[in-house]
Amino acid sequence: MAEEKKRRAVATKTAAGIPKFVRGNLSATLRAKEEGKKVAKAFIHDGHDEIMRAMDIVPAWGESFSGVCAAKRDAEKFLQKAESDNFSRSLCTYATCHIGFEMAREEQGGAMPEGAPWGGMGRPDMILGNGQLLCDPRFKWPQALQHYLRDVPVFVTNMYYPPWDPNVDHHEQEKFYVKYCTEELHETVKFCEKVTGKKMDWDRLAAVVDLSDKTWDLFVDTYDLRKAIPTPMDTGDAMNTMVPITFNIGTQEAYDFYVELNNELKEKIAQGIGVADPEKYRLIWAAGLPSWFALNDFQYFNGKGAVFPVEVTYRDHEKIERLDLPKTNDPLERIAWRWVRYWTHWYDAARKIPGSTPKVARIIEYFEDYKCDGVVFHSAFSCRSWHAGIIHQAEVLRKVYKDIPILIMEGDIVDISSYNEADTHNRIDAFIETLEAYRNKQKN
Amino acid sequence: MGDIRYYAGVDIGSTMTKVVIVSDRIETALIGPTGPEHRKLANKVMEEALKQARLRFEDLSYIVATGYGRINVPFADRQITEITCHAKGLYSLLPTVKTIIDIGGQDSKGIRIKDGKVINFVMNDKCAAGTGRFLEVIADSLGVPLNDLGKLSLEASRATPISSTCTVFAEHEVTNQLANGESVANLVAGVHESIATRVYSLVRKLQIEKDIAVTGGGAKNIGLVKALEGKFGSPVLIPPEPLITGALGAALLGKEKWEKARLDGYTPTRSKEGLQEAKLFT
Repeated sequence: MAEEKKRRAVATKTAAGIPKFVRGNLSATLRAKEEGKKVAKAFIHDGHDEIMRAMDIVPAWGESFSGVCAAKRDAEKFLQKAESDNFSRSLCTYATCHIGFEMAREEQGGAMPEGAPWGGMGRPDMILGNGQLLCDPRFKWPQALQHYLRDVPVFVTNMYYPPWDPNVDHHEQEKFYVKYCTEELHETVKFCEKVTGKKMDWDRLAAVVDLSDKTWDLFVDTYDLRKAIPTPMDTGDAMNTMVPITFNIGTQEAYDFYVELNNELKEKIAQGIGVADPEKYRLIWAAGLPSWFALNDFQYFNGKGAVFPVEVTYRDHEKIERLDLPKTNDPLERIAWRWVRYWTHWYDAARKIPGSTPKVARIIEYFEDYKCDGVVFHSAFSCRSWHAGIIHQAEVLRKVYKDIPILIMEGDIVDISSYNEADTHNRIDAFIETLEAYRNKQKN
Repeated sequence: MGDIRYYAGVDIGSTMTKVVIVSDRIETALIGPTGPEHRKLANKVMEEALKQARLRFEDLSYIVATGYGRINVPFADRQITEITCHAKGLYSLLPTVKTIIDIGGQDSKGIRIKDGKVINFVMNDKCAAGTGRFLEVIADSLGVPLNDLGKLSLEASRATPISSTCTVFAEHEVTNQLANGESVANLVAGVHESIATRVYSLVRKLQIEKDIAVTGGGAKNIGLVKALEGKFGSPVLIPPEPLITGALGAALLGKEKWEKARLDGYTPTRSKEGLQEAKLFT
């Protein structure tokens, strides 16, 4: 064929350290018993991270475990296990994969299911949930899990924030939400104290929260380096480099990871090293968890000269200064303010565009700041919290940017039966051609 | 040959292979089956097309391959997706069209175009419902030749609702309805209605704008076309030969590429492979 093979994309060296983090988190749950620590089945973005870290509770992340199963293309046995007890395939496959794993272990009297990736995950001593607004399985996942882990106590908080309403000024409401969240977090501490038999060290908690704040700032500063042209880091990498801030926030290791990444990106920028050579198109990954079994698709984009300098997914942090958090001596109230302000800080921007939503306002901000040419969404069928609304977001973007190229990919996070590589690549090829046509039209 | 230059487009679809050769006009268009044995034999269809146009392979200045099998064409100089090629080909035939519905053998697509360029597209490649394959399965089950389905459905007194969206279950449902005494014509009309509903729900994700055109094998089925017109609430345009728009677009894009290269002062890179079969399957 006459078409030339493009150079392979350049990944960051720092990202190569991520498997160590993931394995470390899994093995920490397996070591916990002999170290006299308690394991909590926990969920990301629940506001519980600092409490667990300050009390030496080891988090067992179901989402991470399911993601690892998916990346190893070995989730099917756990999905089928859950399905055998009537958990539908259309439910969140993070949840069903994890529930299937716990079901299998309980059936085997606590023995680790054969082939559990990377040695599997330790049995929890407690389940911490949060019926927040981000993700609907959060209400039922802990309860469904307890159906199989009968002796494991469950505590589900409700960390709400003012829901989006273009006609309501959320600033007037937020203090009530913060008060409610703070109380929920205090109750979480009481629950953890009861299960662990230890008292919270409040000074230690305050230090952990400070470290988290510092990590939030460093994370955003580091990711902002990707604004450089050519961008030194792609979303394909970010789906790995999100691990420390998502699963290890409040630890020195997480902070140190971003110091290293920050240094590497600065070096790459200084040397003009980009992800793709040449960098032809800059895209935003505007919504959706990735197909963990098909992360190579990012390299497929890169091979065509298309890079993702920015993504919405797993970038759930902001410069603390921008959130303008009120001063407080209560570290839990600090977490609550950070929580409420983070999830609502695009509301004001969204009100300025009729028919818009905070999610779209955020995409527009990134699209402009990172000088993007096109938008890619991933509609993962089992993840309703992302899936719903993607078409609306695309339509609003088209109202703002007219004929801007938008690709909606279809697949799932864990369930590989939803995926067809040839068709996915065919869609990407067609999208790249659309980007080229759009660019030529802009030039003329 | 004089100064006339020739360009070829090869569209390897899931069921049919199409070759179009153009100069300043369409010189020839040929359609052959893709099938398992033919998948590697795009060269044979090309040889036939060259023979029909009284040309030699060396007379072709540039060749573009498209369709799902586009990488299996060793003698192509460039590969371009069928989305872009359909848009280009159709725009050359029906320049007022802004929305294309392509119903192929194993997928269906919606393409929005503006000034001949793609601005958005959707594809159904996850499910046979809404594709030509669905029609093939049902035709087989009813014992009606595929090409007769369209005319037969026009004799229907009503379209029997087919509630199953899954092809396998729909086939079962049709067989049951047949056993219950429902007429074949009504069932075929119901199947067309079912496909049109699936296609409409896919394509409405685009901001549909008129004129609307239908291409692919589905466009040759008058019953399906009528059902689509009902769903979209508008007449649809059908190009003279709805199967060749992808190959035509490929040939025209090849022409465009070659001419632009010459204007910019260089010769576009050509494939070093001669007119031979694909080696991928050997």
